[in-house]
Amino acid sequence: MKVLWSWLLELCDLDKQPTVEEGAKALTRGGLEIEGVTDLGAGFTGVVVAEVVGKRPHPESTKLTLVDVITERGGAATQVVCGAPNVPEPGRKVLWAQVGATLPNGMTLAPKPVKGIVSPGMLCAGDELGLDDAHSGIIVLEADDPTPLGAPAQRALGLDDHLLEVNAPPNRGDVLGHLGIARELCAALRGRLVPPDANLADHLGDEGQAMTVTIADPMACPRYTARRLDGVKVGQPAGMLARRIAHRLRAVGVRSISNVVDVTNYVMFELGTPLHAFDANTLKTGEIRVSHARDGEKFTTLDKTERTLVPGDLLIRDGETGIALAGVMGGLETEVTAQTTRILLEAASFDAKTVRRTARRLGLHSEASSRFERGVDPQLAAFASARAAKLLCLVGGGTVQRTLADAYPGTSGAATATSAPAEPAVAAHAMTPGSTTVTVRVSRVAMLTGAALDAAACTDALTRLHFAVTGTGDVLEVRPPSARNDITREVDVIEEILRMVGYEQIVSTLPPLRQAPGVREPDRGDAVRQALAKAGAHEALTYAFQSAERQSHLGLTATDKRAQAIALRNPMSAEQGVMRTSLLPNLLAAVARNHSHGRPDVALFECGTVFLRRGESATDRPLTELADEQTWAAGVLAGKRATQLGTGVPYDAFDAKALAEVGIRAICGQHVAITTRASKGAVYLHPGVAGELVVDHVVVGWFGEVHPRVRARFGIEAPVFAFDLDLGKLPAAGPAKMQPIPRFPGTSRDVSLLLGTEIPAARVAEVIERANQPLVTGVRCLEDYRDGKLGAGKKSMLWSIAYRAADRTLTDAEVEAAHEAIVGSLVENLPAERR
Amino acid sequence: MSDLSATDVTIAELDAFEVEFSRVIAPLSDEQAIRGAQAQFLGKKGKVAEAMKVLGKLPPADRPKVGAVANRIKATIESEVARRLGELAQAAAEADLARVVDVTLPARPVPAGRLHILSQVRLEMIEIFAELGFVVADGPQIETDWHNFEALALPKDHPARDMQDTFYVSEDIVLRTHTSPVQVRTMLTQAPPIRIVAPGFVYRRDDDLTHSPMFTQIEGLAVDEGLSFADLKGVLLHFVKRFFKRDLGIRLRPSYFPFVEPGAEVDMQCVFCAGPGSACRVCKSTGWVEIGGAGMVDPDVFQHVKIDTERYTGFAFGMGIERMAMLRHDINDIKFYYEGDVRFLEQF
Ligand SMILES: [Zn+2]
Repeated sequence: MKVLWSWLLELCDLDKQPTVEEGAKALTRGGLEIEGVTDLGAGFTGVVVAEVVGKRPHPESTKLTLVDVITERGGAATQVVCGAPNVPEPGRKVLWAQVGATLPNGMTLAPKPVKGIVSPGMLCAGDELGLDDAHSGIIVLEADDPTPLGAPAQRALGLDDHLLEVNAPPNRGDVLGHLGIARELCAALRGRLVPPDANLADHLGDEGQAMTVTIADPMACPRYTARRLDGVKVGQPAGMLARRIAHRLRAVGVRSISNVVDVTNYVMFELGTPLHAFDANTLKTGEIRVSHARDGEKFTTLDKTERTLVPGDLLIRDGETGIALAGVMGGLETEVTAQTTRILLEAASFDAKTVRRTARRLGLHSEASSRFERGVDPQLAAFASARAAKLLCLVGGGTVQRTLADAYPGTSGAATATSAPAEPAVAAHAMTPGSTTVTVRVSRVAMLTGAALDAAACTDALTRLHFAVTGTGDVLEVRPPSARNDITREVDVIEEILRMVGYEQIVSTLPPLRQAPGVREPDRGDAVRQALAKAGAHEALTYAFQSAERQSHLGLTATDKRAQAIALRNPMSAEQGVMRTSLLPNLLAAVARNHSHGRPDVALFECGTVFLRRGESATDRPLTELADEQTWAAGVLAGKRATQLGTGVPYDAFDAKALAEVGIRAICGQHVAITTRASKGAVYLHPGVAGELVVDHVVVGWFGEVHPRVRARFGIEAPVFAFDLDLGKLPAAGPAKMQPIPRFPGTSRDVSLLLGTEIPAARVAEVIERANQPLVTGVRCLEDYRDGKLGAGKKSMLWSIAYRAADRTLTDAEVEAAHEAIVGSLVENLPAERR
Repeated sequence: MSDLSATDVTIAELDAFEVEFSRVIAPLSDEQAIRGAQAQFLGKKGKVAEAMKVLGKLPPADRPKVGAVANRIKATIESEVARRLGELAQAAAEADLARVVDVTLPARPVPAGRLHILSQVRLEMIEIFAELGFVVADGPQIETDWHNFEALALPKDHPARDMQDTFYVSEDIVLRTHTSPVQVRTMLTQAPPIRIVAPGFVYRRDDDLTHSPMFTQIEGLAVDEGLSFADLKGVLLHFVKRFFKRDLGIRLRPSYFPFVEPGAEVDMQCVFCAGPGSACRVCKSTGWVEIGGAGMVDPDVFQHVKIDTERYTGFAFGMGIERMAMLRHDINDIKFYYEGDVRFLEQF
């Protein structure tokens, strides 16, 4: 909501005039955040109001005029050279940019010869002051312009003013007009609200025709007033008041349309009440009805579009004929035009939800609808109607019929009203309490705020906001102004008290610890994150959504749950269309991005949520239950690991395996038995360089080289190694328990084997374990050697087996016996030859 | 006169070894050769032993005399060996000290990955709130409309929940727009007193220099008897001081969030400038920067989760973790957080 500082001050009676900064600060402190203050006249300096006292042609040019101007009655005239065709006759005022003036284009004026005659500055056109694009001539002030000579041009142009950008909270319909903000400012600065003049005494015409207003559903329309004006002249804004209205509207961002439309807009910005003017000559029945649309009913709005309505929409009808879509837009048929002479002025209040639904469904958002959507004060309708009628008469020259048709079922109980004589002066109900009563306990105020506020302090705060307060003990009966539809509960009132007292007045305390914090399982993700970072990979965070295309790059089979991503109904772009089912696509994309930055060496991991469908729901069915959110960890390695000297060691699958095992041990403990099998299940991995990791007979993750076809889809040219762990499958280890420190020395024996290349290392380890020799404490593979000389399909492996007994130093004979038994088993079961 | 006696011959032979040994070992410069020379003279089959084989044939009266000579020779040789070995060791030690390594060569790299700055900040925030008794709680990121909106006093037609802000998965399922549904889930399953913090990803349809469609919030909730707005201020003040490790002030401004009342916007003193009036891009010269929203839990929320609004009060607050990291680490564009750019990740 844009607020003009001068307009706001007009509605306040303050003991001391605040600066705009002080005003903005006071409003912000009270909860109306001022997001910006613009000095409207900041674009130029040194331009003053001057009067033309003489003019003659330039001797050297027919296009130039020598103009004598004064800036002081009776002062000496100065001769300025002007190139505009519209230099006025003496007596009219122009805007003179004197020597030293600065203009919006950054220019500073200096005396300048024009065809031989020095001009001390220049007379300004609109574009030179950044006001408009017009350069057809200089600005000539209206003949009746009251600005004194010598005053800054800003004053004549209405630019000695500031525009405040108010961030109105969505629950505060009452601050969508200057009056509501003035109420806040007065409350903050202890001033008095000055409602604008709405006295119609000078503008009354005849009784007029009788008119009835009927509201079919008072919930949808709490109040509807209709008033007729005669003899109005519709046209461009003329005269000081109309120009001022148009100027102020432009300042708050509304285009001037005609004197009549400008007035309705002006009152909307002034009071927050949207108004609508119908051409009364186009109305046929003298009966206004407010009722819901019939299903499929057609209605043509002002913008010449035929709308098909639904029963939720609310129509204003002339008899049976729709003439306006309540609170959203008027009808084309009854629009005010240049020919209009009689006006029917609507001031009403419509249900916020009804307006919101219609505006949303039709995509018709307007200044009016945005106000109704937050709630427009029904009590203000008659006042707004009078205010607008008064201004219409002043700018359009008409008279107001003496009667007002006012259907206000909430107070009178009648949903139908026939026009009745109305008082010419309507009370400004913005200042009077509404009908809602809220009970507030002073003790509760003190408890909730933590401040020792008594009944007097509460009453003071509330009265400043025009709340009516009765009671002096613990219980106060409070009636908020009718505009404050956001105040219905005790806590709402407490907030009002607190913001008037000032949030900064509350002294901080720390709450006592009343109960030990609950026990929570340590976060698996964080344990793994810390371990993986320590192991040398950088943690990346990537979006939880991605494009369906990127998702498909992994090449998962259609039956894989991870190929059935959950789609967003309204993604910002296709790039973020589906929820991720694997962490790898975004990580691989990050590798590609780093490569494009000239970073070939990349070690990244991410630990986060993947989103899978529950049950067998297929992708084309909407999700009707929450997702299966699983925590996974994944990593990617490309390029080289740094070495002390040289260019580093290329990463390989075993670096990925190492990280995967680090991740597993972060949860399962240092001593968990992890077994590895060659895997054919991970389709995104190289078929020959893929392993699966098994803990407790459960596959918990995969590692290996990313399938060359997959990485090519991401635009990665070098090999990438990856791992992927399902953290939810990892059994958590308890605290490590101490094992006895060995008291007797151990020993080890090596065995060299010649065996088939198809026999994996894990099989060798398994056979050693199955030999079941109790003295064995450890097995390590020292060498995996492949050479054609060993024979086709053969490899040589060197294994070292450690032996120890807990209760004695082993003898050579004991060790030999155990070792030979194991070697025998290897030779027989692998099979293998001993070398 | 007789010839030299056999005894005299043996003694002379032994005496000669002393000189001979000196001559043998003089050119030797390694321990093994010296030990070899020693064995040549003193070993089981060494020269001294050979010479002494005649001992049994000598007159018994001479034997002690010959034995004494042999012992003297042995001792002389052994001490000579010890002296030479000592010299060698000394020379070796000196030679070792002459060794020079170019210590300015780079260190051998140890694995050095980093936690993402948002993880670091999140963990630190959790830690600070833990000091005040808050435990971590979490909830799903794909959330029901009810938990995300309805139960937080944001019914379907509420102006604060416009379609353009929320990602929808289906009619009633959304990507959570804040971590506040964790409040609801906690209060539904746990009786007061409650003190939780809920960090996590949230999603809004917004994408520019300061908004990312996915970002991280941390939500705090305390429900107990007698909690007040003053307590809320105290908790936030403690957090700001601890997190920035400076004696910064906070400012609460009235604001509107449907699920808290009184509601507040939380500002803290600007860490980039000297206060109001300084030319400062971050706080626009106000001296204050916004860090989050807070307030007392709205009674409507308590009613949704069936907590007695007369007996209990509560406060809640929410902050953006990206924002806190930006303020502390001068990060000037939110997009860096989610790009996996190593040049960014390795900085923190
Ligand atoms: Zn600053």
